[in-house]
Amino acid sequence: MPDFDISPILESWQFLATGIGVTILLSILSMAASVLFGTVLGIARVYGSRLLQLVITFYVDTMRSIPVLVVIVWIYFAVPILTGINFPPFWSALIAITIHITASVVEIVRAGIESIREGQCRAALALGMSWPQVILNIVLPQAAIRMLPAIGSVLSVTIKDTAIASVIAVPEFMKRAETVASQSYQPMEVFTFAIFVYFLLLFPTTRTIDFIYRRVAHLGRS
Amino acid sequence: MTLDWSIVWLNKEALAEGALMTIVLTVLTMSLAVPLGIVLAFMRLSKWRSLALLSQCFVELFRNIPLILIVYWSFYVIPILIPVQFSAFTTGLVALVLCVSAYNAETFRAGINSVRHGQTNAGLALGMSQLQVMKEIILPQAARRVLPILATTWVSLFKDTSLVSVIAVGELSHVALQIRSQSFRVLEMLTAMAVIYWMMGYPQAKLSDWVRKKFEVKE
Amino acid sequence: MTEPSPLRRAATQRPLLEYKHVCKTFGAFTALDDISINIYPGEVVCFIGPSGSGKSTLLRGTNGLDPFDGGEVFFDGQILPRKQSEVRKVRQRMGMVFQNFELFPHKTALQNVAIGPITVLNKDRVEAEQQAMALLAKVGLADKADNYPVNLSGGQQQRVAIARALAMQPEVLLFDEPTSALDPETIGEVLSVMKALADEGRTMVIVTHEMSFARRVADWVIVFERGKVLEEGPPEQIFEAPKVERTKEFLSHLGWA
Repeated sequence: MPDFDISPILESWQFLATGIGVTILLSILSMAASVLFGTVLGIARVYGSRLLQLVITFYVDTMRSIPVLVVIVWIYFAVPILTGINFPPFWSALIAITIHITASVVEIVRAGIESIREGQCRAALALGMSWPQVILNIVLPQAAIRMLPAIGSVLSVTIKDTAIASVIAVPEFMKRAETVASQSYQPMEVFTFAIFVYFLLLFPTTRTIDFIYRRVAHLGRS
Repeated sequence: MTLDWSIVWLNKEALAEGALMTIVLTVLTMSLAVPLGIVLAFMRLSKWRSLALLSQCFVELFRNIPLILIVYWSFYVIPILIPVQFSAFTTGLVALVLCVSAYNAETFRAGINSVRHGQTNAGLALGMSQLQVMKEIILPQAARRVLPILATTWVSLFKDTSLVSVIAVGELSHVALQIRSQSFRVLEMLTAMAVIYWMMGYPQAKLSDWVRKKFEVKE
Repeated sequence: MTEPSPLRRAATQRPLLEYKHVCKTFGAFTALDDISINIYPGEVVCFIGPSGSGKSTLLRGTNGLDPFDGGEVFFDGQILPRKQSEVRKVRQRMGMVFQNFELFPHKTALQNVAIGPITVLNKDRVEAEQQAMALLAKVGLADKADNYPVNLSGGQQQRVAIARALAMQPEVLLFDEPTSALDPETIGEVLSVMKALADEGRTMVIVTHEMSFARRVADWVIVFERGKVLEEGPPEQIFEAPKVERTKEFLSHLGWA
């Protein structure tokens, strides 16, 4: 067993810590944007016109068939050629990850809405509510609770996907760890440390969401 | 802006080889990760606490770190820990198997646990042994719940093989990115790469939907 | 037709099932408190009593699915073993019917009935399926042999479950609230199958809330409350002239007398 020398990690702790900050920021922004767009598109996927449904389904299935790496690289290198606008890597990654994760959220929202029994809608309509009121007040709140575990695993996927942004040199934690590893010639220490950091980011996140879900699950049953 | 799509055609053989490598990686990973996942799931469900804990740690660890990091770690650290030089292909395969078997273990465990306890009692009441109950009653029912999830995992795995490109395994995205940097036909190559993935991945995604519909458990 | 049980009980016959000082607790809750009762060959015994009185717990301990904490059960003179491999042998001689049927959803009605003899008794498949077919005919479901449980009504599922238990040619049949999960209109078909089995002279232990069935079919009725036996006796006595005040109260709550 070789010696374990953590001095490179200690020496570059600030460089690595800001990387963790970027990872968290990129994760939160991508997730927030994906939940926003995914909810809108998910509602449109269920209640929209036939054509709209087809277009959204095509988009979702396309994202299910293309690796996120490919989307990231395409947005970063190809979009500037097409549009003449250069985005910094962070923004390219944010856009690419959002496009990819939104597709997952659409599917979750669709399944969540479709899992609500029809009787719930009929009961609300019988009270004299309009369709938008039914969706907003009755369907979405129940669906949101049922969606929680799936949203939790998507959040976990999002955080993991931000590590792939290292291939376009977004200064997030994976990229920073790689840099420190190659400059110090001590990849074992640095990458093992990186495993700890990601585990500490991801494990509590998924556990917290599971915990919240168990507390509120009864509100989503009908 | 002038586009020259002939670059794609000129490199059709290299791209085809890359695509083939992507498929080989997917198939090999899954055929190793299914048995490994089953072993891990049974360890997790076993009476021996230490065995269960070991499996749980393995599963939680690999489900909670990015695959790309597992790939880097395997590439840089395994050669330091064991003095055997693996090829980039083997290293990439190991990383994928570690990750996917953790997911599969969880899939199998959940599948087995989803069968109601009363079913076990009904089998035992007939005088079956625990082993017979597992084989005749639990596993066939668990399979119906496991297969759709395995299909979804398969589609994710197919996409995730692209990540071993960072250690220069010659699968589709590595090949396409290489040609891009040599030819400077960036837009054409990147688009071609996306389209090839789409052509291979789309039918798989649809097939996994079909599996899910077919095996959906009605309750 | 079987003779009334009290005569059997008077005889110096060995009980088929003998419970001696059986106890069981769930945490702070005492489910069974020093129960000692006997069940004789050819007898139909009904366990009645309010929910949570311990009657189902006693039944489930009989074949070791939920082992007792204290006391002993003797089956055919042999003490019920604790070891998994040995208790299996005893279970093969007892049939059990569950409240929620617990048919195996991945097998057809016929396969459900044949699976015991095939996997446990190593019977030839063709032979086992022939026997299974005969048993399905006996419970009136020969035409449903190839149906999966999901396509059967509750009453039909429970009749298949009875056939599955019969396929092992058990020496005693244990029924754990067999009609509690059924729609009212299908309860009758299950009870009449059980009545027919009783008329064959089979030994049956039935946990039930169907008082008129117990009154009509049982040879012996045991009333439970809070893990204890309140009283036992022939149905005429229990239902017409109970000796214990609490039995009277329990029966009158159910609208009986």
